[in-house]
Order: sequence, then structure tokens, then C-alpha cells
Amino acid sequence: MILALEYHRSPGRFVAARGLTSTRVGSRLSGMVAGNVAPLRLVNRQAPELPGEGWTRVTPILTGICGSDLSLLTGHSSPYLSPMTSMPFVPGHEIVGRTMDELPGIPKGSRVVIDPVLSCAVRGMEPCRWCASGQQSRCDHITAGRISAGIQTGTCGDTGGGWSRQLVAHASQLHVVPEDLPDERAVLAEPLACAIHSVRRVPIGPNSTAVVVGAGTVGLLTLLALRELTQVGAIYVIAKHGHQKDKAKALGATAVIEPRKAVRALRRVTTARMHTPEMGADFLLGGVDTVFECTGGASGLDTSLRLARAGGTVVMSGMPSGGVDLTPLWFRELELVGAYCSGSDGADFADALRLAGSAPLDGYVGTTYPLARWREALNHAADSGRLGTVKVAFDLAR
Amino acid sequence: MSIRREFRLLRHGRDWRGRSTVPRSAEPHVVEPEEKVFPTAWARTPAAVAARSVLRKGLLKPVAWRQITPVIEGAEYLDGVRGPVVFVANHSSHLDTPLILGSLPERFANRVAVGAASDYFFDVRWRATLTAVFFNAFPVERYGSKRLRSLAVDLVDDGWSLLLYPEGTRSEDGWMNPFKLGAAVLCVTKGIPCVPIAIRGSYAAMPRGRNWPQPGKPRVTVRYGRPLVPEEGEDVRAFRTRMAKAVNMLAAEEDLGWYDALRAAADDRLEIPGGSQPTRPGAVRDENAKTEQTADWRRVWASTEPLTGRRRRVWRD
Amino acid sequence: MSRPGFVLDVDERTPPLIMHQGEGFRLERLPLGSKVIYPPDSLPGIRDVDAAIRHALLHPHGTEPLPELLTPGMRLTIVFDDLSLPLPPMQTPDVRQRIIEQVLEMAAAKGVDDVELIAANALHRRMTPAELRRTVGDRVFHAFFPEHLKNHDAEDRDNLLHMGKTRHGEDVEINRRAAESDLIVYVNITLTAMSGGAKSVSVGLASYRSLKHHHNVHTLRHSNSFNDPPNSAMHHSYERMKGLIDEHVKVFTIETTLNNDTFPSSMGFLNKREWEWNVRDQASYLAVKRANELMPKKTRRRIWQSTAAPYGVTGVHAGLQSEVHPLTLNNVHRQQLTEVNGQSDIAIWGLPYICPYNVNSVMNPILVMSLGLGYFFNLYKNKPIVRQGGVAIFYHPVPNEFHPVHHPSYIDFFEEILTESTDPVLLETKYEEQFATDPWYIQLYRNSYAYHGVHPFYMWYWGAHAMQHLGDVIFVGGNRKTTQRMGFRAASTLGDALEMAKDTVGSSPSIAYHHAPPLALADVR
Repeated sequence: MILALEYHRSPGRFVAARGLTSTRVGSRLSGMVAGNVAPLRLVNRQAPELPGEGWTRVTPILTGICGSDLSLLTGHSSPYLSPMTSMPFVPGHEIVGRTMDELPGIPKGSRVVIDPVLSCAVRGMEPCRWCASGQQSRCDHITAGRISAGIQTGTCGDTGGGWSRQLVAHASQLHVVPEDLPDERAVLAEPLACAIHSVRRVPIGPNSTAVVVGAGTVGLLTLLALRELTQVGAIYVIAKHGHQKDKAKALGATAVIEPRKAVRALRRVTTARMHTPEMGADFLLGGVDTVFECTGGASGLDTSLRLARAGGTVVMSGMPSGGVDLTPLWFRELELVGAYCSGSDGADFADALRLAGSAPLDGYVGTTYPLARWREALNHAADSGRLGTVKVAFDLAR
Repeated sequence: MSIRREFRLLRHGRDWRGRSTVPRSAEPHVVEPEEKVFPTAWARTPAAVAARSVLRKGLLKPVAWRQITPVIEGAEYLDGVRGPVVFVANHSSHLDTPLILGSLPERFANRVAVGAASDYFFDVRWRATLTAVFFNAFPVERYGSKRLRSLAVDLVDDGWSLLLYPEGTRSEDGWMNPFKLGAAVLCVTKGIPCVPIAIRGSYAAMPRGRNWPQPGKPRVTVRYGRPLVPEEGEDVRAFRTRMAKAVNMLAAEEDLGWYDALRAAADDRLEIPGGSQPTRPGAVRDENAKTEQTADWRRVWASTEPLTGRRRRVWRD
Repeated sequence: MSRPGFVLDVDERTPPLIMHQGEGFRLERLPLGSKVIYPPDSLPGIRDVDAAIRHALLHPHGTEPLPELLTPGMRLTIVFDDLSLPLPPMQTPDVRQRIIEQVLEMAAAKGVDDVELIAANALHRRMTPAELRRTVGDRVFHAFFPEHLKNHDAEDRDNLLHMGKTRHGEDVEINRRAAESDLIVYVNITLTAMSGGAKSVSVGLASYRSLKHHHNVHTLRHSNSFNDPPNSAMHHSYERMKGLIDEHVKVFTIETTLNNDTFPSSMGFLNKREWEWNVRDQASYLAVKRANELMPKKTRRRIWQSTAAPYGVTGVHAGLQSEVHPLTLNNVHRQQLTEVNGQSDIAIWGLPYICPYNVNSVMNPILVMSLGLGYFFNLYKNKPIVRQGGVAIFYHPVPNEFHPVHHPSYIDFFEEILTESTDPVLLETKYEEQFATDPWYIQLYRNSYAYHGVHPFYMWYWGAHAMQHLGDVIFVGGNRKTTQRMGFRAASTLGDALEMAKDTVGSSPSIAYHHAPPLALADVR
């Protein structure tokens, strides 16, 4: 028996959480909603069984709380994803842990990070065209094979998830963590790999301009990836909170702008023209080449579309929620690009581990909570920006 | 800031009428505020005239006539006179004006404006208003540069008769002071007649310092004379002398009787005030007078001697 | 005869003094011994202004009478001062209207057909049709708008003429239509000693290319003050440019001056010295102040912005600018000059609701700064009112408000540029060009009603001399955030402000309160 946070099916709670957080007041209380209304519970349950050869049990050391986890708990994740989950499941996919079984090339007790994508290899199937080409995040067999449906570890009922004392993972998911990389940095490897993936999704020309909308974990790590791995020129970061500004500057942002002033400021630096429609937010004629939407909110995407130049690109890194006015997409002939998880046959993860070691990411995982204090943890995570935190994680050893 | 505090701040350093003291350094820069002449035009509107007529007949005259015994003589001289005219009288009591206004024929009483000292009667609003209501008074500057720009000329032009006291002030002791030139100038320049009036006994009835007549219904005479018309080319000073003589002759009538007074005037025996010398109203020159100056007490003594109505010969040894 | 200006020493007998504070005012008790600089009493206005105008046009200084300069078939351009003069706007009819009408009557009599009217707004926002109409009057407006009554467009490359460079290498580029006219008639209102004269044509009709030679930090730091033309580097530059312009085109200048009747009779107490307030003044002070405070913000602004001053005209002079302007300046001095003995450690100003750039608009923090450290600080001759290293205390709420249409570049300047630095030189070298050439600002300046992109920089330079001179700047009642952004401090009361000033000027500073408006130009000895 292991201690685990379990997400279970409860349409009533789902709807209640969604309803509550979509009001003005409720949106400020999303931490409370995630902790009290969401269909999440702390249980003692059977540890997940090894599904077969090439698997190992993993004891998580640290597991991050991701923005997408919070969306799920506040009922904002799209129902589109529901066939690709199998309930009840244990959330948590940003995992650094220790293997408990011997695997070829990965001795028992190795410190690993997990690529959460549950692709063909994991499911024991013939590779689909994407897995064959090394783009596992696009796997078509995400609902088939020897384990139940689930796009990731953390949405699949059979693998367990990071918010527990134990889970199972396939050898193909594991990346051994270098000895000198502390756990607090290693736990950022998964989101960083996603960020790296997202900047590799689109061609970014030398000295082109980019805007990162949102300066949470995804935004900051996207900024890091942009700076380190592309020839991009100026990077503007739209950040709500003061501490994010300093961090973004440290990671190489050209300028950090408050959301309220974003359109005006970007107008000036791109010498664009600004217009104010009769309804809705200001927009630019002219603007930036590439926009990375890293908030996962509808307003973030709306802003992104209004900031991109004609023919520019908007990359959606955050898990989208809610609808937006797509007129700029049509009128400005924008490219709207999705970026989900990591790819490149594991190269993104390798780069992520390398960058996690070198980049100034100290203090990103500021606060850790034992599972028992999960409500507090979720509360903190929902309010992390305001509380000066980038990433809140569960410390499973405690 | 609360309205109270605002008010307190605003009131800081100001008196109850809201006037502030002038900062020392600002004193050289203070302009004397343009002396505002109390507006009296409203007191000459038909409505005010009507109201005053009611007040005079219903209040002023009955009250005055009850307190004293007025004797009015010579009002018939006014019968043929057409306004505007200037009434001039000796002045020794606040009773004088009510007495004259009360004794004037109606057509004059409603068309006469009284010259009143602006520094006293028009000093404060309430007194100015009352004076204007009851007496149709208009302000006369006694001092300062604006004396010449009097309202009197405009009033005459508008057909108002004037009641002026050429002495310029109430007498201290009942004796007559020298006449000032103003009234004479007005008559001569405008070519209008002057009606002399002499009042006797008003000092005794209500001297300076009293604000109600002496008890016992003292006798007061108001005597009108024949209108004096300035002659072609007549000198202002000469006209003033005529005026003073006429007033004094009327005053003498009280003591001498009509004819004797006429004779005294014809003989040029009447004293008229000149220089700074006051004379007793109706005084006849005494050839044997020993001193130039008469003692103060004797003047008051003479002035307060009750009028009996009998022709008495005083100072005529 | 109206009384000359004087300096009051605050003593025990001094009542609380009025202090402007944005869209409002208050009474303030100043420390004993403070000096208060009062302007001369308002001069009597000319009774028959039209006759004075006619006389001026027919008997000009240094040139032939206007009718003799007008010939059939000539190109005549009438240029007039824009919305920024006078302040507050004048009750209609505006004196510019009276003058333009008479000029046009003469032109019509002489058979002049090609007449163009141009508002000399330089890089200011365009005047709206309603504002133009108010300035030139209905008759002129109907006859000329919109084809021949226009705002000057400093970004219309086709309609600018580069006349050459002065001996100091300054580009002179002005409105082409005006430059190629046979005669420019310039209709001016000189409200302060700064305006009028050579400034009229060389600034009012110029482009950025030309303006940057005198509207810069260096020139303004050497204009001590810009209200004292002989000691103003800026005016020397104007003169050089005007010299060049005179070689190309004949300018017939008509300059007018106004008296100090700045506030309408309902607010007559603002025109009076406090110890001379009668009960009526006090009652209206209380009533107006209370009503002003109770009013919703928007209504309050609308009412303030719609007040018009019952100015009297104190002088109309026409002819050659160089001969006319001394007469005009003399009139301004007659109305505004007050002699002050010595400088003070602290100077206090109550900043009013209006400055040249927020007529019918919003007074944003940058404009507050330029009004205080630019215009009011520079209302001196010889020496500043406050000593080198002294403290300036201003009364203004400095709200964080901007007019989105009129001042778009101000918003960016405030939000982004000032967060980096408040040093005028640094801002000038690093950002001026960028703002001046930003196509969006140019578009808004030309087609909307926006001040030019570079204008907030000019506002900042306007205060450059004061910033260099002063040891500290404190805003009583100022918004903490906005004052801090601009590098100043905020205090809630005068007492606090004086306490804060102690660090800079010691514990017993001398204090001068510059009592304005109505405007006083301090001649500090």
C-alpha cells in the first residue's frame, strides 16, 4: 500500500470546480477550489504493478505541480482530453525519482527523470509513424496497448503518478540524472524539455523578435530555451509579478513588461501602429515575429494573437482553456502552432538536463510540501506568482 | 477637508464681517476702498414716496405733534411757489427735520429730499436705510474732496426740492453758526428760489444728546419766509448773506413780532453769524455790547429759555 | 492706476493664502516670515479693441501700413497662435478673431484672392474644427475651413521648405506655403515673456528637424530663464532662425498682450489679494471649493476646462517683429513683473489645472512636471527665485492620468522611458530620435489629435534647468507613485514637505511663495 493523491471521476465536483473558478471572485480562490472542491483525495492504495518487461518501479523524490495539473483540478482542462485518461489516476508528471528495479543500462537505485509520454514503446506496440520518426509526443496509440489510456504518466490509471510514493515507468521513459545535478534542478527537466520542444517547433530567424506571454515556469523556461538554443534577437517577457521580472532579466530577457502595458510597450519597440477596437483589447499592426503563449489562459492567447506581426507565429505552450477571437489569425495570416511535451527522440530531454545544470535556476523550486499537506501545496501553487514562487513541488521522501 | 475645518481656516484672522487685517508689508499697497455712496435712488421711487407719505402722516407727525406744541407760521408763502426750491433752515435739533416735513404742504412734503451728513447718517447701513425711508435723505459730504460731487444738483435737475441746513451741523448750543456756501451756490447756479425757515425752541425741546423731546410739550415755532430768488448776476456770497438775514429775521419774529423784525432787518440791526462767531437766532445787534464773546453758559441759557408765545423783549436794554 | 506687484512678508496679520492645486485650490497658512510674490493688479484693458487693432494695422512700426502691403494676386498667409495661448482660453470673441477679421477686410478691399490661414501649432496637437472656430470666429471659419484654414503639419514633407542653415548650423525648415507667400501676417498673443517675437514663425511653423536645434537639454540649461530673452540661449537660436527667414519672406507681425483677469467673476477671489476678500469672496470660495470637491471627476474637469478668462487687451502692436516685440515685452512686464529681493532656500508654487498642452485635455504627470519645473520655475529674470541647491515645493495631486488620444507618446514615455532614467541628457541621446521618428506617433499627430512623439521629451527638457538647479522637489498632495517615477517626492501637507526639505536646506530656511496664477514674473535682484 502506498500513499497517493488520487483523482477520481466525479462530474459533480468537476462542474462545481469549473463553475466556481470561472467567476471573478472564484478565480482568485482557485487554490481553495483545487484543494477542496476538485475530485482529488489522499488515499492509501495498491502500488501500481509492473506491466511487464522493461519496466521499473520508481520512488519519486520530488514531483512538481504543473499548471496543467491545476487546470485539471479547477475544471478548466478541456473535456477533449477525457478519452485519453483512465480514472482513477494519480497526477504528477514532473518527476525526479529513484528506480527500484534493475534495467539494462539503468542499475537499480539510479536517479532518473521521467519523460511522461506514454508512447508506442511504452505500450508494447509497433511504433506508429510518429514514434518511428522520434516524435513520441505525437503518438497515435495513446489509448491502446498494454496499459490503459492516458497521454502521460499522471493521467493513466495503470502507471501511477508522481503525487504518490511509488509509480511504474518504462525504460524508454527514463533519463538518468547526472550526479552533480541537484534534485531541485532535475525536477525542472521535464518542463524545460517541453520548453525546448516548443522553441524547436518553429523556425526562429536570427535577430527576430519574440514575446513570451507569461512568466511562470513555462514562460521562464521558454525564455531560457530561446536564449540558449536559438539566434533570436530581442525577447520581451510579459510578466505579472515583480519577482518574475528579475528572473526573466537574469535569463536574458530584453525587457519585461506588465500585462497592462504590454501592447503599448511592444508597439513602441517594434515601431508598430496601435489600434483600439470598439470592443476588446488593443492590437498592433506590425508587431513581433514569434509569440509564445505560456499562460494556458484564453486572455494570454488573445493577447498573443494581437501582438504578432502579419505572417508571424504564435506558439501555444500552455495547455489551452477557453475560446478566443481568432480574427487576427485570419486577418494577419498568422501561424498558430501547438507545442505539446517534448520530442526529438529524447534530445530535448538531454538538452534540458544539460541546461538545468548550467542555467541560473536556483530557487525555482522554492517550496516543497509533503503529500499530507497537499491542500496547502495546491493553494500555494495556484498563487505561486503572487507568493514569489516559480515551482511548488511535493517532497515524497518526507 | 471637512467643511468645518475649511471654514475655520477661512475665518482665520478675520473679524466677524470677514474682513482681514492687512499684513504689515502690504500696508503701502492698500488702496483706500472706493467709498461706496449709499444708494438712495430707491427712496425716491413712487412706491417709496407713497410709503413715506403714510409714515409721515401716520407715525412721524402724530408722534412729534404729541410730544411738542408746534407753531407753524408763514406756510402760506409757499402757495404760489413752484418747485424745485431749496429750503434752508437753522439747525439745532433732530426735531427740526420732522417739524419741517410735518409742516410742509403735501405737494412739497412728497417732493423734498433732505441733505444729511454722510459721515453720520450714512455711516452704517441700518441708519442709512431708516434715514432714507423716513426723510428721503441723501448723503452730503461735509469733508473731503468729494464734497463738490454732491447728488444735490442731480436731484434739483430731477425736480426735487431740497431741505438743507447751511450751518452744516446741528448747533452745539442752540445758536446759529455761519452758513456754508453750498446751498447758496446751488440756488445761484440753478437759478432756483430759496425758502428761508427759522426754527425756535427746538433746542430747548430736544437739544443735542437727547433722543426724545423734553416732557411738558414744549413750544416750538417753525416760521416760513418769502422765497428768495437769486437775482441776475448776484454774487453767491451776497445771496448767502441774504439767506442768513432772512432766516434770522424770521427767528427774530419770535421775540420782536413781525413788524419789528421787519424794521430791525431794514435797519440792518439783525446779527448774522460770520467768521466763527455764532449768534443767537433772532438776535438784534446791541450797540453797547461789552464783550465780543458771549460765555457758553449764557448761550445755552438763552437757547433753553422756554418760548411762551408772548412777544418778549430780551437783550434789549 | 493699478497697483504694482509686491512682495508680502507673512506676519501674524496675514490671513491664510490661496494655493492652486490642480483642479482645485486651498487655503494655506505659510510659516511666518515667508515671502509671497504678488503680480501687479490687473491693468485696465483697452476699451475699444477694434479701434486699437485698426490703428496698429494702419500705423505699424518699421513697415508700411498693412493695406499698402496687400496687392491683388498676391499670396497671403495669415498665421495665428494655436490653442496653447492664452491660458485659460479667452472669452470669445478671441482677440485673434478680431485681428484676422480686420486683416481679411483689408485684404478683401485690396482684391487679394489667395489667402491661407494656418494655426502655428508646430508639434502640438492639431486643433479640432471646434477649437479653430472658437479662435478665428464663425465668419472666418465658414469662409475658409477646411480648404484654406488648416493646422500646420510638421510631418508633411511636401509642404515643408528647408530654407538653409544659420551661421550656427541650425536647420531652418518651415511650412512651405507660408515660406513661399508674398506676405505672412502673424497674429500673436504674448502671454508670457517667453512667447511672441522671433519664436512665432521660427517655432510655430517649424518641423522637428528645425526644432531640435533649440528644443534640447543643452540649450534649455543655458536659458536662464527662458522668460528672459536676452539671457535665453533658446531665444538666441530663435533670433538667428528668424534672421534667415526674414531673408526669404516678409512677415507682418501683430502682437497682443493681455491683462491679469485670469478667472471669471464667479471665481473672482482667485484674482484678489486674500486680505482684501470681502464676505462675498469668502462665501464663493467656500461654495466653489465645496462644489468642486463634491463633483464627479469628469464633470469637474469639464467645468474647469470650460472656464474662459475675461481678459482685457493691454496692447496691440503691429509691424516689423524686431520693432514690435520690445513694445510687447514692455506690456508683459508692466502686467507681470515684480521685483524680489534675493533668492530663497525654498520656493513654493501652487500648480493650477491648466498648462499650454492640456487645453480640453488631461494634465498628465509629465505636464505637471513641465508646468512646475519648466514654466513656473522659469518665471524669473536675473536669478531663480530659489537658490542653487534649494528646494521646490509644488502643490498638485499629480494623478496618474493620461489623455489617450492627445498624449499617446507621453504614456510610453512615462511608463517605459522614465522607469529607466530621469536624466534628460541620457533620455535625449538614447530615446529622442526613436520617439521623434516613430511612424505611429507621426500618424496620430497628422491624422488624429495627438501631440508629436517627441513632445514629452521637450517637456522633460523644459525642466532640465530646474532639475540641475534644485536640490529637491516635493509635491504636496502628490501621488506617491507618479512623483517617485519622475524622481521627485510626495508629502501630504506643507508641514511634512518643509520637514523633508530640512535635509537639504537646513532647519530655518527662507521661503518664497510665488503667488500665481494670475502670473507674476519675478525680477530677482
